[in-house]
Amino acid sequence: MRRNEVDAVLIDEDTLDLHELASACAVPTTWVVERIEAGLFACCSSGAGEMRFASAHLIRARRMAITERCFDANQELAALVADLLEEVEQLRRQVRIR
Amino acid sequence: MEFKEYYKTLGVGQSASADEIKKAYRGLARKYHPDVSKEADASARMAEVNEAYAVLSDPEKRAAFDRLAQRRAAGQDFQPPPGWDAGFDFSEAGSPAGNDGDFSDFFNTLFSRAARAQRGQERGGGARAQVRGGDHHARISIDLADAYQGATRPLALRQAQLDESGNVVTADRVLDVQIPKGVKEGQSIRLRGQGSPGLNGGPAGDLYLEINFEPDPRYRIEDRDVTQTLPVAPWEAALGARIEVPTPSGQVEVNVPAGSNNGRKLRLKGRGIPGDAPGDLYLELELASPPANDEKARELYRTMAREFSSFNPRQQMGA
Repeated sequence: MRRNEVDAVLIDEDTLDLHELASACAVPTTWVVERIEAGLFACCSSGAGEMRFASAHLIRARRMAITERCFDANQELAALVADLLEEVEQLRRQVRIR
Repeated sequence: MEFKEYYKTLGVGQSASADEIKKAYRGLARKYHPDVSKEADASARMAEVNEAYAVLSDPEKRAAFDRLAQRRAAGQDFQPPPGWDAGFDFSEAGSPAGNDGDFSDFFNTLFSRAARAQRGQERGGGARAQVRGGDHHARISIDLADAYQGATRPLALRQAQLDESGNVVTADRVLDVQIPKGVKEGQSIRLRGQGSPGLNGGPAGDLYLEINFEPDPRYRIEDRDVTQTLPVAPWEAALGARIEVPTPSGQVEVNVPAGSNNGRKLRLKGRGIPGDAPGDLYLELELASPPANDEKARELYRTMAREFSSFNPRQQMGA
């Protein structure tokens, strides 16, 4: 079995550009832009006006894309599912903290 | 290569309509959704279901699969006959989950984008456009200490790739992943070029790893802040003490203020998970009483009971 060592890059607040996010979610860039314009999805602003994305955006975009594909859901419903999953994660963290 | 029983995976018959296949798929997608499923092997089952649906939901792929299923000899290792897909024109649509990095040898050899491109090139000849490989996604669990110090963690992967002849093969490999110091739960890290190989000399895709922390009863974590229970003796809490405490960032000496009660939190600024704005470490005091397991200890407790006769620990309950 091959074995090799690779460096990982932390996806911080402004790591991914629009093309990288779209590629990671296997969607066209227009898919991302449409959902940002519809207020279903956010991005980090940058001085140059270029859209940049962080880990949380990547996870939300993937959840929405998978929900839309798996269940033929419209984008608002997929965003609602992503909202609920984020809420569940937050509540689970709170349960662990108490 | 193992022949995949896609109809069985989705729990439908071979004569199932497109609507029946879709309905079965959606039911299983809900059952094995990685964010909500309690099943131990949910991710693997979801990949199987996605793979089956990627084939059976595409009329051309389904027809080619049905023809293969009719021709194969039961109980034998499966190898696709030459020209098995002649007459079929598979769509370029991806799998329902977006990419097919987690799919089986069977799928990768017959239906993956790389395999289809390779067969197209063999038949048509000539150069084709370079295509970037797909990105892959996985989760990796690390210890809290790894986030404080950084670490190297092995990650076993099974991936489709092209061999020297350009054929699609599945290879097992282990990546020693350098986990960066300061990573938080839910954050992703990117390994450039570790996704699917590109086509016709195109660049490989990336591998994204979502970070999860292994549960550790000693710590509770929120963002970069870490809370750790600190057991103290009643006299340490009452009288104050300087005590040695093992923390995720090493041994520290802590001043417990006199008059502390159970549950009091002491903040150690900047000793949470490292970062540009490092988190804080909270030490939550937990009173630990000595056991009354010999006469001398019991006599000490009796003395306390006499001396603190007016103390009512249940006063706030109205008792």
